Amino acid sequence: MMETPALPVPEARSVIPAGLRGIFPVLVALVLLALFQWLVSESPFAVYLLSVMGVNIILAVSLNIVNGMTGQFSIGHAGFMAVGAYISGVLSLNLKEVALSFLPVAASDQVLFTVALLVGGLAAAACGFLVGLPSLRLRGDYLAIVTLGFGEIIRVVVQNTNAFGRALGLSGIPQYSSPYMVYFWVFLVVLVARRIAGSSHGRSLWAIREDEVAAEAMGVDTTGYKVRSFVISSFFAGIAGGLFAHFVPIINPGSFTFVKSMEIVVMVVLGGLGSTTGAIVAAILLTLLPEGMRSLFNALGTEGSLAQKVDQIRMPIYGLLLVVLMLSRPQGLFGVRELWDVLPRWIPRKRRGLS
Amino acid sequence: MAQLLQHLINGLAAGTIYALVALGYTMVYGVLKLINFAHGDVMMVGVYMGYATAFALGREARNSLLGVALIFAVAMLGCALLGFLIERFAYRPLREKPRLTALITAIGISFALSYGFQLDIGFLPGASPRAFPEVIEPKEWIVIGDRDVVVWNWQVISFLIAVALMVALQYLVFRTRFGRAMRAVSWDHRVAALMGIPTDRVIALTFMLGSALAAGAGLLYAIKDTSVSPLMGLYVGLKAFVAAVIGGIGHVPGAVVGALVLGLVEEFVVGYAASTWRDAVAFGFLILVLLVKPGGLFGRVAAEKV
Amino acid sequence: MSAAVSVTGGAQAPLLQADGVSIQFGGLKALTDFSLTIRQGDLLGLIGPNGAGKSTAFNVLTGVYQPTRGDVHVGGQRVNGLKPHQINHLGLARTFQNIRLFRALTALDNVKVACRAQGALHPHVLGVGAKMKNALGNYRDWWRALLLTPGFQAEERELTRQAEHLLEVMGLSHRRDEEARNLPYGEQRRLEIARALGTKPKVLLLDEPAAGMNTREKADLMVLIRKLRDDFQLGVLVIEHDMKLVMGICEHITVLDHGETIARGAPAQVRSDRKVIEAYLGDSYLESHGGAA
Ligand SMILES: Nc1ncnc2c1ncn2[C@@H]1O[C@H](COP(=O)(O)OP(=O)(O)OP(=O)(O)O)[C@@H](O)[C@H]1O
Ligand SMILES: [Mg+2]
Repeated sequence: MMETPALPVPEARSVIPAGLRGIFPVLVALVLLALFQWLVSESPFAVYLLSVMGVNIILAVSLNIVNGMTGQFSIGHAGFMAVGAYISGVLSLNLKEVALSFLPVAASDQVLFTVALLVGGLAAAACGFLVGLPSLRLRGDYLAIVTLGFGEIIRVVVQNTNAFGRALGLSGIPQYSSPYMVYFWVFLVVLVARRIAGSSHGRSLWAIREDEVAAEAMGVDTTGYKVRSFVISSFFAGIAGGLFAHFVPIINPGSFTFVKSMEIVVMVVLGGLGSTTGAIVAAILLTLLPEGMRSLFNALGTEGSLAQKVDQIRMPIYGLLLVVLMLSRPQGLFGVRELWDVLPRWIPRKRRGLS
Repeated sequence: MAQLLQHLINGLAAGTIYALVALGYTMVYGVLKLINFAHGDVMMVGVYMGYATAFALGREARNSLLGVALIFAVAMLGCALLGFLIERFAYRPLREKPRLTALITAIGISFALSYGFQLDIGFLPGASPRAFPEVIEPKEWIVIGDRDVVVWNWQVISFLIAVALMVALQYLVFRTRFGRAMRAVSWDHRVAALMGIPTDRVIALTFMLGSALAAGAGLLYAIKDTSVSPLMGLYVGLKAFVAAVIGGIGHVPGAVVGALVLGLVEEFVVGYAASTWRDAVAFGFLILVLLVKPGGLFGRVAAEKV
Repeated sequence: MSAAVSVTGGAQAPLLQADGVSIQFGGLKALTDFSLTIRQGDLLGLIGPNGAGKSTAFNVLTGVYQPTRGDVHVGGQRVNGLKPHQINHLGLARTFQNIRLFRALTALDNVKVACRAQGALHPHVLGVGAKMKNALGNYRDWWRALLLTPGFQAEERELTRQAEHLLEVMGLSHRRDEEARNLPYGEQRRLEIARALGTKPKVLLLDEPAAGMNTREKADLMVLIRKLRDDFQLGVLVIEHDMKLVMGICEHITVLDHGETIARGAPAQVRSDRKVIEAYLGDSYLESHGGAA
């Protein structure tokens, strides 16, 4: 219908050759992997810390898809994490004795683990769909409250279900997880987030964030896109929960409260709503800072109380951080830009725009 | 039958308290279109102010009528001041910014207050709940049959206080100059400003009013529960918020009806199912209502002007 | 509604048809018994004093508001109850009086959003089976985006090409990578039109496209609008306050006042209508323009 003259197609002005763009992230990941190998030497604490950090990155990056790119505001991400953790945890507990005889034991464990993770992720995604469908039709601030309520409902359900260990929690979940598995999923979630951001789907999400009425008028199925972004986001929250459940000694409802949700929200807001690398940087910062302070106090030999206080003080500080950020720098560290957009000039950068 | 009656009474008593808190959410939402997430936590701070006053007064004084009045006055005035400060320094600078900005700020304040109060540094009370002194000595006022139905004095008193405050509010909003200004700001604060209404002052006063109401409600709640804790604001606040949304946020009588309904629903769940499910029910009920009537029971989903 | 059926007469089927559409906000009758037909090649005007209900008429036609009474048909299909994006897929696009661009997106991305949404993956389907297929197609499409398949990359290039073409048509090529919010006002209005064209509409509704422009820019824009109608084979409905301008380019004009249609017809006919002079041109207009009517 529309006559478009055959203009020469301008290549996207990217520093990466077109043929390589599809697998570029894999190359980056391989380099990082080598680095990693060196880092995870012997220390169990380093392994634990790296795992926690990875889980937080997954949570922050996935929440950013909803809160940052789509401009909705979910504050119940820990609820989806809980669903993933409990479902995959219970699955692994029950399949503990099972082994796939045609595989070596370690491989068999990892296969079962992956299955459990996926089931947990899908369960979380299904919850995301159920929560999203009614609430995403409503105004944004209703979504906040409904997601919060959802988190509470999950907590109450867990506390009332024997299979989930009630308030005591689940222990004895096989410790299948390793930093490699965690960062494999970190890699996946970052890849998904970035690829979405650069695709027409991402543009539709950005459009919804900018002006929902206009997006709808321009043919964007806003409800559909919002639900889909919610589903993808909760899937990865579920995966993060599953990973978490397989490297901590015990999971209980206390691990997935409003506090955890807020921690993730703070990461996303601090990094800059809409910036994937921002979410990563903030997640790393907010994981390492408290740990660093704790170790510092311990090393200084102050009595345990001060080190314990770190955890206590963290929460009100997060709250104040949100207020101060909103008043002074609402765009967070990076705004909607990515790390490479804010790097010094001599480093080659991608073209402007969101993709 | 008697049991049913007892649950009805308890439910209504709880509902009136939620209603007072819910009114604060609804009023602020009315003038600013902002869900003031910190409202419940302001209430919690008020309760601690009342708690401190009660202790300062000592056992004798706090059980006198004057003492109780003083406790309420300190809590309500203190909260009004807190509400004023929050509005002035956190919300006002963001009034013309995207709504999300103010919402995040509100969440931040809520978090800072509820977890700040859990620290045991300086004058802060620490995380564990404390027993709230018996400022109103519990008495059974109405007893039917062999203690089949019991109505406590504090139930009646809090019901009366709540109703009186609501009537006063209704009068204020619909019969006074200030109320008219409030409604004008609610309709469109930019236009209201052009018409010479001092919007800043109206909004600030609305905040103070809502916060004072919340403090009153919080004290009633603490008396009923005989305890205070830093997290009570989060929980009571959330329930009250749910009540406001169920009634249709921004709608004053709606908030009251929503709160009464929620109080009853919770009471019946506790009475006939299990108390452990109570906290989930409010939210389940909320989602249900929103599914059927997205604007709440009385509110309409206003078509955004395009 | 016989009046609605044959205004311009042609043998072509109407692209858009409103029959006796009314909407109320509380007690306010914002639009009463509004009827209108748009065919391909039409260039119609909608005028009326402030608050007459013109923008409301747009909102009802595009599904932003639901009419209390009356029917709207787009491309022969009844669209009451459909969502705005579905109506857009049927070939109806619009601009907004108070510019609503995606402010943080570049000019190019603004148009690409629109180009994409109306792509092959959103067939004009409303049945259940077709809906399922559509949903599956959507998910398959996400995978293609994740894996950056060659097909996906080609599609992306095609979108870019289309969007660049539209920017060029609207004279905005030099703003390609500029964020929409940084464009001057007049260019923002043009970008809105480019974006609307991106959805490949059959009917284009323009809400005061020339607002805030000077006389010269306005005249240029009107010429451009006429050209768009011809090049893209559209039916166009324009809201515009400047009487001279509307009279100059529109072949047929509908006049609203207080939600009521008080006159309709050729410019000359409308201009001499008593009710129009009273209601719209009214006192102030006659005073300031010295009876230009
Ligand atoms: N969502 C709404 N809720 C309540 N009233 C509305 C709504 N939308 C429009 N109105 C009212 O409907 C009437 C018609 O408004 P509309 O915007 O259609 O006028 P208009 O003809 O476009 O005027 P203008 O030339 O100023 O743009 C006005 O009185 C307006 O206030
Ligand atoms: Mg208008």
